[in-house]
Amino acid sequence: MRAILPWVAVLGFAMLAQVAVGPVVGHYWTKILMDVGIAVLLAVSLNIVNGFTGQFSIGHAGFMAVGGYTAGILTYYGGAALFDLPPGAVAPGIAGHLWFALSTLVGGVVAAVAGVVVGLPSLRLRGDYLAIVTLGFGEIMRVLLTRTEDVIGSAEELATAPWTTQVVSTGGSLGFTGLPFYTNLFWTWLWTGIAILVAYRLKESSTGRAMLSVREDEVASGAMGVRTTDVKVIAFAMAALFAGIAGGLFAHEIGTTLNPAELGFQKSFEIVIMVVLGGMGSVTGAALAATILTIVPELLREFSEYRMIVYAALLVVVMLVRPTGLLGHREIWHAWRRS
Amino acid sequence: MTPALFARGVSIRFGGLAAVSNFELALPVGGLYGLIGPNGAGKTTLFNLLTGVYRPDQGEIRLGERDLIGSAPSAIAASGLARTFQNIRLFHQLSALDNVRVAQFAHRRTGLVATLLRTPAWRREEEADRAAAEAWLTAVGLEGRGAELARNLPYGDQRRLEIARALALRPKVLLLDEPAAGMNPQEKLGLRSLIRTLRDTYDLSILLIEHDMGLVMDVCEHITVLDHGEVIARGTAAEVQVDPAVVEAYLGSPEAA
Repeated sequence: MRAILPWVAVLGFAMLAQVAVGPVVGHYWTKILMDVGIAVLLAVSLNIVNGFTGQFSIGHAGFMAVGGYTAGILTYYGGAALFDLPPGAVAPGIAGHLWFALSTLVGGVVAAVAGVVVGLPSLRLRGDYLAIVTLGFGEIMRVLLTRTEDVIGSAEELATAPWTTQVVSTGGSLGFTGLPFYTNLFWTWLWTGIAILVAYRLKESSTGRAMLSVREDEVASGAMGVRTTDVKVIAFAMAALFAGIAGGLFAHEIGTTLNPAELGFQKSFEIVIMVVLGGMGSVTGAALAATILTIVPELLREFSEYRMIVYAALLVVVMLVRPTGLLGHREIWHAWRRS
Repeated sequence: MTPALFARGVSIRFGGLAAVSNFELALPVGGLYGLIGPNGAGKTTLFNLLTGVYRPDQGEIRLGERDLIGSAPSAIAASGLARTFQNIRLFHQLSALDNVRVAQFAHRRTGLVATLLRTPAWRREEEADRAAAEAWLTAVGLEGRGAELARNLPYGDQRRLEIARALALRPKVLLLDEPAAGMNPQEKLGLRSLIRTLRDTYDLSILLIEHDMGLVMDVCEHITVLDHGEVIARGTAAEVQVDPAVVEAYLGSPEAA
């Protein structure tokens, strides 16, 4: 019972967000709260690699792109075929939403597979190599996605296009436009809640401790019987899974376009900043930093072009004043304790 | 009877330097052997060879019946060869209890899915591991200190924690790399009785590197002396103490003086 209750709580919380919070705060804040959820999902998942395992991945947006485009293809082209609708139409009722949920999940799984493929060779190496490989992966994804064909907009054209054409018709550098707006507060906060729960349970488990031991001292970790490469690959795959799901949510959110430029290095860097600012290894710290760094720029819209400057300055200040981030390795409910 | 740890003809070169050459050892089950030698004699290199950190250029190493050459350090550790480090290598940001529990990971039966779902089987294993980890802390004299961060423990206690962590692997053979280094005389006294107790209580075979001659001569039944990567003497404490080669390695030859 104690094991199931948190899952029920996450589900209840997501439903509450959808039916009670959404209508009360209005469209503008609903959109911001969805942005916050996606940011939290990204930061909490990257924290599994950068915070728990101590590896430095700066290609998280690349996995987000893999998941987003996979889910997009499934809802846009797959949904059209499945529900016999024009491409990009929202399928009515629960069926459409279930198809969307499945699509984001498949996007996450494909991203996780990409994570293993990228991670297996590079995670054998130590330190900076991973950063370079993940950076390269993110850039390769971005460039590949700019080379795709135009989105097929009409039902007539779609009827004659084979699936092999469809999967590469994702809009190139203009972005995958016309995706149905399935993302709502329920799906966003359901996945985000699941990611937080998974990350926290991981941290408080033997697998999580193995990850932390790799961060602390990889040689000693191996000498204590921990298969360090396996542990790192697991962390990497889990992070990529949730990044892919975040990409699916982002792709189907109102007011965003899924385009390669959006999911480049800058996005990866923003997520890294959230993790570093929140405290490497702190689940709630990452969530808190992601929330702050999403809401504050929204409130300071006029200054939005200075955002990256502020981010960079903030990062320098935090490194000088609190090198371990806002919460360090601890969770928010430990924060009252003196370090 | 098969020795607990067996090495023959083990050699490794780093460039032109023969760090260890033709090393031999047969550590019997339940044995408490010592490995001494001047600084730079190759003692820690030898530990790194035995535990798979380095792969020997030639030679054979067996743990019981198991051939260790080419196995990863984690596989060697999981199969029953645990070690401590000369320069303490604890997981500093983790609690003492968590340091010990990391070593239990290799023996876990419940997987990732059970971990995330917190199944009853996972919970039972977690409880059992926690109790065992606390017992290991008690065994080395750190009872009730589990919640403290490793980096906040006093030096001597950090050395003890390293031993507790190694024991949690449930090893057959324990390699201790200068466990008394930096300890005060009183801590050394405690360590001496701890090493004996551990061997007797847990059916361990122990190989000890130590610079503190008093400790080595006192607890070890058999001593191997290394100098410049080669075994120059072996035998009981009384035998190696009077061995001219040993005296020369440590004090220099009388002619040169």
